Amino acid sequence: MPANTASVYMKGAGAAEVNRPAAARISPALQALTAAALLLPGLTEPARAADDEASIQYGHYEESPRDVYSRVPTSEFGFDLKKIPNNFAPITVDSIHVQGKTLLRDRWRFTANYSEDTWSGATPVATAPAGFGGNKAYGGGGSVKHTDPSLGDTITGATPYIQSLTPVFDQNFNPVLDKGLDADFNQAYGFGPQPLTHTMTMASPETRKQGDFKLGYEWDEAAVDVGGGLSLENDYESRFVNWGGRLDFNSKLTTLNFSQSYTNSTVSALLDHDSLPYLGFIGYQLNGKDDNGYYDGSVNEGTLHGKREDIATNLSVTQVLSKSALAEAGVGYTHSSGFMENPYKATYAFFVDPNSFDAGSGVYLGANTAAYTEQRPNKRNQVNLNLRYVQHIAQLDAAMNLKYNYFFDDWGINAHTFEGKWVQPLPWGLTVTPTIRYYSQSAADFYHPYLVLKTAGSGDVNNVAAYRALIQQYPNFSSDHRLSAYGALSGGVIVNKQFARGLNLEMGFEYYTHQGGLRLGSGGEGGYADFSAYSANAALKVDLDTLGRSLAESGGGHHHHHHHQHGPAQPAGLMFGHMLNMADDWMIGYQYMYGKQAGNLLQGTQPISDAAITQNNALHNPNCADAQCFVAPTDMTMHMHMFMVMYAPTDWLNLMLMPTFMDMSMNMRELGGTNAPQPTDADPAKALVGSAVNHAGHEHQTGGIGDTNISALVKLYDDKLHHLHLGLGVSAPTGDVDIHLRPNHAFELGFIHYGMQLGSGTWDFTPSLTYTGHHDDWGWGAQIQGIKRLQNHNESGYRLGDMLQATAWGSYQFLDWLGGTVRGIYTTQDSLHGEYDGLHVPIGTMDTPANHGGKYWDIGMGLNATIPGGSMAGNTFSVEWIQPLQDNVNGVQLEREGALSAKWSYMF
Amino acid sequence: MIMFKRAVSVVSMALAMQLLGGCAVAPWERGTLAKPQMALESNPLQTELRGHAYGAREAATGSSSGSGGGCGCY
Repeated sequence: MPANTASVYMKGAGAAEVNRPAAARISPALQALTAAALLLPGLTEPARAADDEASIQYGHYEESPRDVYSRVPTSEFGFDLKKIPNNFAPITVDSIHVQGKTLLRDRWRFTANYSEDTWSGATPVATAPAGFGGNKAYGGGGSVKHTDPSLGDTITGATPYIQSLTPVFDQNFNPVLDKGLDADFNQAYGFGPQPLTHTMTMASPETRKQGDFKLGYEWDEAAVDVGGGLSLENDYESRFVNWGGRLDFNSKLTTLNFSQSYTNSTVSALLDHDSLPYLGFIGYQLNGKDDNGYYDGSVNEGTLHGKREDIATNLSVTQVLSKSALAEAGVGYTHSSGFMENPYKATYAFFVDPNSFDAGSGVYLGANTAAYTEQRPNKRNQVNLNLRYVQHIAQLDAAMNLKYNYFFDDWGINAHTFEGKWVQPLPWGLTVTPTIRYYSQSAADFYHPYLVLKTAGSGDVNNVAAYRALIQQYPNFSSDHRLSAYGALSGGVIVNKQFARGLNLEMGFEYYTHQGGLRLGSGGEGGYADFSAYSANAALKVDLDTLGRSLAESGGGHHHHHHHQHGPAQPAGLMFGHMLNMADDWMIGYQYMYGKQAGNLLQGTQPISDAAITQNNALHNPNCADAQCFVAPTDMTMHMHMFMVMYAPTDWLNLMLMPTFMDMSMNMRELGGTNAPQPTDADPAKALVGSAVNHAGHEHQTGGIGDTNISALVKLYDDKLHHLHLGLGVSAPTGDVDIHLRPNHAFELGFIHYGMQLGSGTWDFTPSLTYTGHHDDWGWGAQIQGIKRLQNHNESGYRLGDMLQATAWGSYQFLDWLGGTVRGIYTTQDSLHGEYDGLHVPIGTMDTPANHGGKYWDIGMGLNATIPGGSMAGNTFSVEWIQPLQDNVNGVQLEREGALSAKWSYMF
Repeated sequence: MIMFKRAVSVVSMALAMQLLGGCAVAPWERGTLAKPQMALESNPLQTELRGHAYGAREAATGSSSGSGGGCGCY
C-alpha cells in the first residue's frame, strides 16, 4: 500500500485526536484501524515526499573577493604593506539538479539524480607573511613589464610566483618587513606582528557532472535500498555505491536507520605550468608510483595522480516523543585512505640559514623560499555524532527543527555545528522557513599557514636533501584554509509555494560568512582568510501523484490526456511545435540536447588542409581575422538542458517559459606547418600569443545558465485534421557572454572563444509558424522558425547571426503508445557581427567572427512513447537523432557530427 | 531496606514505563506528526545543495554522505 494512502488515513484520523487521553478504552473499531495503520509503511516518517515526483533545481553560489596584501613601493626606494587591488573574479558556482522519483509496483521505489556544476574564479593557492611580497601586479609575463594596456598591464592580481619574495626573519624567526631605504637612505625593517596574505590563482571554468540512482524496497515495517553513482571532472573521478535500511518497531514509534557507502576516487590533476618552476613536487616523485600520490611529468608540465577510498557507516534512531515532537540521534564513522590532498594547494617553506644572522640589523637575511604541493596524511578516521529535535508549535502551527553535530577525526580537527529552522506554514500555500547555522572547527595538527626551517635551503624546489629536512620536521603539512581554525555563521530563508495540481516552487537564499574570529572560544585563523558567500536557488517540484489524482477526479473532461494526449508524434528536437488545446491546461517538460562537432575542417562544403589555412594567411586571409592562425578545434561538444512550463489561459493561446542550462567543451590542436611563438618570447605581443597557444593545449570548458525564452503560441486554424499556430517569442539574454580564460604565463588572455559563451547576449525575437495534420495512424507537419537579434551588439561588443530554419516531417503510430518520426531540416545562419570589445587573443579559426554560421541540411529520426494509463499516464518521452547531410559553413569551421534530443513532457 | 529496594525498583519501573508509555502515541494521535513541516528534513533539495557548498569549504562537513560530490578542489 503506498504511503500516500497512509497520509490520507492520518488526515482523516487527525480529527479524532482532540482531547483523547492516552491509549485508554479503545473501541474495537479503533483497534482495528490501529492494527491497519500499523501495517502502513513509514508511519513514523510522517511527511514523506511524493511517490512519483520530478524536480529541477538551479543554484548559484558566489564568494566575496579576498583581501590581498603585498609589499609595494611607497617611495623611490621605500616599501610598505598595502592592500592591493584584486581584480580577479571570485569563486562562483552554477549548478543544476534534476531528480525523478517513482514508485514501482507499490513497494519498489526508484530515484534517479543528475547534477552538474560549473565553477570558475580565483582561489587561494598558498599563504605567506604579507610583507614577503607573494603577490605581484600582472605585467607582461616573466620579468617583462610592458606598457600597452591591451596586453594586460592594467590587470592587477596575484601570481603564484615566489621567486620574488623577500623573506626576512627576526632572531626568533618571526617574519620582518623589508621596508627598503628610508629618507636618509638607511635600510629599514618593520618588526612586530605581520599579517598573512593568500597568493591567489585564477581558474578557467570547469564542469563536474554526476549521475546517481537509488532503488528501494519496502515492507510494512522495514525498507532497504541500494544505490550508486558516478561523478566526473577532468581531474577527479568518483564512483560510489551505497546501501541502507530502515526498521520500524515499538508500534512505529521508533525507527532504526542504517546506511553504508563506499567511494572510490581517482585524481589526475594537471599542475599549473606557470607555477611548476617554483612549485616543489619532489615529495610525490619520491613516492614512486604510489596510489597515495605521485607526479608524472617533467619540470615544465606534469600531472599529480592519486587514488582515494572512503567507507562511511551511519546509524540513527528516530523516536516519536509525543504527539507533537520527535527526535533523532545518530552516529557516523568514515574511514578514508589514499590521496586526500587538494592537488592545487601549495605551502611556502622558508629555509633560514642559521649562519645568515645580521646582528647589526637583528635579522636573518637571504632565506631560501620554496613552495611544495601539500602533504596530508594518507589515512583519516572521522566520527560524527548528531542529534535532532523537531517540535510542533501549536499556536502557530509551525515546526521548530534543531540540529547539533559534533565531529572529530584523527587529523586533530573537531567541529561543532548548530542548525535551527523554523518551518512556518502560511495561507495561500506558502511555507516560509528561516534558517540559521553556526559552524566552528579547530585546525588540523598539520595545518601551518607557512613553514620555517632553521636550515639552509638549496634554492631548488625539487632538491631532495632540502625536502628530506622539511619532512623530518613536518611529515605532513597544508596551508589550506579549510583545515585552519575558524567559525562560520550563516542565515537564510526558504520560501515554498504550493500551487494547484501538485506544482511546488521552492526558493532559497543563504548568506554565509567564514571568519577566524568566529571560532568557538578563540584562537581562530587571522582575518586574511575571511570571506563571505551567498547562495540562491530555485526549484520546481512536480508531484505526479497529485496530478494523476486530479486527472482521475476531474473525470471525463480531461480524458484526452490518457490517450494520444499530444496528438500524433512530433520530433523530439522540434521547438514550439505543440499546443495545449484546452483552457487551463498545463504542460511541463524537460529537453536535453547534445551536439557535437568533430572531423574535418571545412571551407564551405569542402575539407581544407592545414596548409591552406595557414598559407593563405600570409596573403591577408579572412579565415583568421587578418592574423596568423596557430590552432584549430578538434572537437566541440555542447550539452543543453531546457525546462519548459506551458500554460493555456484560453484554448487559442499558450504561454511558455523556457529557461536553459548548458555546458560546452572544446579541444584544440596546433595547425600543421605553423611555428607558434613561445610564451617566453622577448616580444611581449608574441609572448602573449604564445601563452594563448600554450593554453589551447588542454580542454576549455564553460557552463552555466543559458538564455531564457518566453513565448506565446497563438492558434490560427484547427479542425479535426489540420492545425496551424503562430509562435511569438523573445529570448532574454540570461546566459553569460563575458567568460574569460584564466591568465597563463602571467598573461591575462581575455575573452574565451565566441562559441563557448553561454548565451547570445542580446534580446532576440523568435517567431515560428507550425502546421500539423494527421489521419489514422499517420501524421505530418512543417515548421518555419527564426531568430532575429534585436540589438546590434551585446555587452561584449558582438552579436550572433540571425537564423532561419525550415523543417517538414512525417510520423507513424506503430502501437498505441509508440510512434516514430522522420524529418528533413534546412538551417541558415548568418555569421557573427562585430567583435569582442575587450581583450581577446585570437589564435585559431574559431576566434574569427566570420567563421560562424552557415547553411546546413539534416535528417532527423526519432521515437515517441506516451504512457497511456496507470500512475504514469500523461507522460511522454521522445528522442531524436539529427544526422547532418551537408554542411556549407561560413569561412572555415569544424564539421558537425550530429545532435541528439531527448524530451520528457507531462500534460495535466 | 527491603522496602527501600522495592520502592527503588517500583520507581525505576515506573520511570521506564513512563519513558516508554509517555511515548505511546497512538496512530490516531499522529496527525500533527504527519504534517509536512514536521518532517525531519523538510527541504531535502535545499539541504543537499547547501550541504554540497559547506562540504567544499569545511573540514568536517560532507565527509560521510557517500553520495559523490567531487573534489571540491577550489
